[in-house]
Amino acid sequence: MYRSQKLSLRYYTAAVALFGVMIVFGLLSALYYLFPSLLFNVFNFNMSKIMHIDTLVIWLLMGFLGAVYWYLPKELGREVEGMWLAELMFWVFCAAVAVVAVVFLFVQYGGANQTSLWLINQGRKYVEAPRWAAIGIVVVMAVFAYNVIATCIKARRMTGIMWVLVLDLIPLLAVYMDAFPADTNMSTDLYWWWWLVHMWVESTWEVLIGCVMALVLMDVMGTSRRIVETWLYIEVMLVLGAGILGLGHHYFWIGTPQYWLSIGGFFSALEPLPLLGMVVHAIYDAGTHRLKTNNQPAFYWITAEAFGNFIGAGIWGFMMTLPQINLFSHGTQWTVSHGHFAFYGAYVCGIIAVLYVAKQQTSGVDMLAGRAWKWGFGLLNFGMVGMVMGLLLAGMAQAFFGRAIGGSTLMAFTSASENPWFVSGMWARMFFGVVFAAGYVVLVYDLLTSPRRVPAPKAQAEPA
Amino acid sequence: MTPTALIETAVLLGLLVLAGGGYGGLYSAGRIWSRPGLIRAGGVCWIAAFALALTIAIRSPLDPGWKLLVLVSAVVYAIIPPMTWRYLERLHDEQESQR
Repeated sequence: MYRSQKLSLRYYTAAVALFGVMIVFGLLSALYYLFPSLLFNVFNFNMSKIMHIDTLVIWLLMGFLGAVYWYLPKELGREVEGMWLAELMFWVFCAAVAVVAVVFLFVQYGGANQTSLWLINQGRKYVEAPRWAAIGIVVVMAVFAYNVIATCIKARRMTGIMWVLVLDLIPLLAVYMDAFPADTNMSTDLYWWWWLVHMWVESTWEVLIGCVMALVLMDVMGTSRRIVETWLYIEVMLVLGAGILGLGHHYFWIGTPQYWLSIGGFFSALEPLPLLGMVVHAIYDAGTHRLKTNNQPAFYWITAEAFGNFIGAGIWGFMMTLPQINLFSHGTQWTVSHGHFAFYGAYVCGIIAVLYVAKQQTSGVDMLAGRAWKWGFGLLNFGMVGMVMGLLLAGMAQAFFGRAIGGSTLMAFTSASENPWFVSGMWARMFFGVVFAAGYVVLVYDLLTSPRRVPAPKAQAEPA
Repeated sequence: MTPTALIETAVLLGLLVLAGGGYGGLYSAGRIWSRPGLIRAGGVCWIAAFALALTIAIRSPLDPGWKLLVLVSAVVYAIIPPMTWRYLERLHDEQESQR
């Protein structure tokens, strides 16, 4: 095993641990909706939400880094350049996350001054980490970019996947600079802030997970390089084509010019189309291999990714992306429902697939099967679908009663939050959140236990 | 937009994409496992998708531009699965012939 793959396993461990922290704070955040005075003035809802969302961003990022450090030496046939720096950065990253978590848990907030901004909370939604930690993330990402690019140069070899990855590193790093607030005008500030949130998530991360999935497909299903690379180029072109200007759907109500309604609505409406192509591709691959593979969990999670991405981002997104609908739905639990499903489909399923690839290769078994992963797969998917349905119900109740009937007043918001449809939706979310948490426990158990040794089926080795 | 029209339109939009996805999924499954019945079921899904798009165009209070976009989307949903399929087959055939 390469040294960078050992580092990758550390990243995976940290990612899975933070996945658990994210679930804990997700459940806590769900409880506030049912018991609004819970932990009042001890640990308020806003802090729980920050912990939930920030750990989501960090664990996925760690999962991506782990996946790239895993595949980089395999792809280029040599150890990653600058490993000592990469290993140092891992510990810096973990220490920074731990310190920020302690500050969020015990200090929580400070006065409106520079000290708070640098040491407690940057005050920027989804990237609340204090400025020193935000700078730390830039350093970690810069070292990561150096590792990838320097390894490519030293190896004197570039594959199509590596080209896409290297080019993606530029916006991945550049767009994160938007994490540093600079404007006191709220509209201008939000305009650029959405570059960070949307461009990271719907552009650079999509490309990153596309590269990772291309490598996983070659690994798990024996798909040929030419096929995955050609498909990767098409996917990247389509996702970026619709995704970049799809940014406009965040510009509807923040004080930007009216033409964003047309641009945002039009390009967002195009976003489900490449996702449909992914579904067709997933079924083609699954059928070509007659559902046979030597790594069943990874295979099922890859397939779940294609479907989850289509349903979460495509169906849930299209329901509320046209401006006339979005006027009522934005900022309600409806959006939360879409966010949960889209993130889960696009990224979580993919990262879990990579975890199973690592598990198979570290345990040295020919075939990874068993029963526990099926329970984990079932509970996580069932829990997620239940949660998003509950949130959708609650969000539609908010849009219907609080926005369309009540006219978006504070009173309307309050009464919509007490509406039985909303409350039952939130209870459903809580219940299915617990199911999801149970799935996580099974997933961790399965990842940590040694697999049974089962001979691999002969049909699998054939590339598609 | 009335509160009822809001929910109706959103649900119809969601169902439109779901039916489009159903068509893509069933068409692909029918092709890969040579089951004409599944391909036909996929066709029914696409008809449902187009019917939903027409319903949105006729009944919903969306602006005409969005209605047109929805109708065009429904047509594009018909094209994507067979086009993607043909492309994947060609790619795999070329790969086979090179080996």
